[in-house]
Amino acid sequence: MISRRGFLTASTAAATAVVGAVGASKLQFDSDQQIAQTAVGQKTVSPHGIHQAGIDLELQSHSRFMAFDIPNGILKSDLAKWAELITDDIVRLTAGKPVLADPSAEFAGAPARLTITVGFSANLLRKIGAEIPAGFGELPRFKIDRLKPEFSDGDILIQVSSDDPIALFYASRALTRDTESFAKLRWAQQGFSNAAGVTPTGHTQRNLMGQIDGTDNPRPGTEVFDRQVWISEGPAWAVGGTCLVLRRIQMNLDTWDRLSTDAKEGVIGRKLSNGAPLGKVNETDLPDFEAKDENGIKVIPPFAHIRKASGKPKQQFFRRPFNYEVPGQEAGLLWTAYCANVENQYVPIQKALDEGDLLNLWTTPVGSSVWILPRGFQKGEVLAGDLFA
Amino acid sequence: MLKKFVAAMAIVFGLVSLTGCAPATTHEGVVIEDAWVRSSEYSDHAGGMTGIFGKFTNHGDQPVTIIGGETDIAKMVQTHEVVNGMMQEKKGGIVIKPGETVTLQPGGLHIMIMDIAKPIVAGDKITFTVKFKGAESQTLTLTAKDSAGGDETYNKK
Repeated sequence: MISRRGFLTASTAAATAVVGAVGASKLQFDSDQQIAQTAVGQKTVSPHGIHQAGIDLELQSHSRFMAFDIPNGILKSDLAKWAELITDDIVRLTAGKPVLADPSAEFAGAPARLTITVGFSANLLRKIGAEIPAGFGELPRFKIDRLKPEFSDGDILIQVSSDDPIALFYASRALTRDTESFAKLRWAQQGFSNAAGVTPTGHTQRNLMGQIDGTDNPRPGTEVFDRQVWISEGPAWAVGGTCLVLRRIQMNLDTWDRLSTDAKEGVIGRKLSNGAPLGKVNETDLPDFEAKDENGIKVIPPFAHIRKASGKPKQQFFRRPFNYEVPGQEAGLLWTAYCANVENQYVPIQKALDEGDLLNLWTTPVGSSVWILPRGFQKGEVLAGDLFA
Repeated sequence: MLKKFVAAMAIVFGLVSLTGCAPATTHEGVVIEDAWVRSSEYSDHAGGMTGIFGKFTNHGDQPVTIIGGETDIAKMVQTHEVVNGMMQEKKGGIVIKPGETVTLQPGGLHIMIMDIAKPIVAGDKITFTVKFKGAESQTLTLTAKDSAGGDETYNKK
């Protein structure tokens, strides 16, 4: 026989369970344990703001860059229609909802920090007669480049990133379908970083050569980051945006693996174990380029990558790279530089690296493209609407 | 004594289920969501035709029928169904029972507009008024999207 108090407690508990189930039915999971297990999938990133999403965000596990060519004779008004369709897609997909007229709506519901970032080439701006912001444009030729057209150039860039490759696949297909009414897919490249839950927030990633890569990155949200990354003057559609240099850097891992640890560390100028500059202890210690060992030899070799890459403070950018692998064929890095001015911030550093970076022996740029990512959009606004007005 | 406990439990559950259903009972009549018009090779020229789709939910307590509609850009509007892959007119309209949602989608039920006055291509917007028997008409702005879904055959004359 149940006591009155015991019975009421039991029914309250039952009622609570019902409420929990009602709340969770949206997610299609019915226990606290399952909700915890699927937390990665349920995380969302707002697509709205003064900057586009997916630039200053902690790396997702997967990212796909897709470049499209627009046909000659396309009108600004056509691109305005495209921008409106894509904006609607972005808002729905990043919230975990199907797009309008979705033939595969059953994939929606677990966006896993999905972000969609859009950019345009200088070529596109010329085609529609738009102003080209200062310092943005094609790169000069570099001696080390062995560029392939299937990884280079294009008119429109759509970058899709997520912690889940299924969410990424689904969103990429929807965006491609809606963009192909206006443009043709030129190339798509996909990369990866660690899976969610493997490394702590703020951790610097290791690239496929084993190096801790990106230590010198400015930290999002700081004054230095804002100054280096966001465009602060020029046409209204560009202010709050940034420029992206995307380079596909192929790595020759077979010859790299033959080097000793000392030799590998000399090439980069950092320890492989924790990324500390040679002669220093911690990853974030500043390198001492003048330090010499007991034999009078520079601790950081003259041709070390970090020596060649260290520019004046003004010549810096933010990196957000993804590793790539075509199993059995090729591995490397989808290397990215985000900066307000490509000509002043990126080109001088790449020129220095072109002329005597030891790392060039094991790395070859095989793809290259440069994009301007317009400012972000607020609720009710159309992404790049003012560019195509 | 036990009766009282059962009643108390019923109240608890009753309250919970009311709370759970509250959002659905705030609407009256028909709610139309995610409506769109299809752009395709059938609609990219004047004189062409295409379908209108969307999710229609009847929040009333009487059946409602989609009987067609009106738009400036087409002379003919019909309700259609697809049977064995072939599209045909659905005489009498599309019935939505009280509390039910009917989804008009490629390969199934839809509203057909024919003899369009100008092309409809991806990203275009058209104004369309849906007419019902048993509910007020509703005027919508529909976005055109390319879609190959449904794999239906149009009986071209």
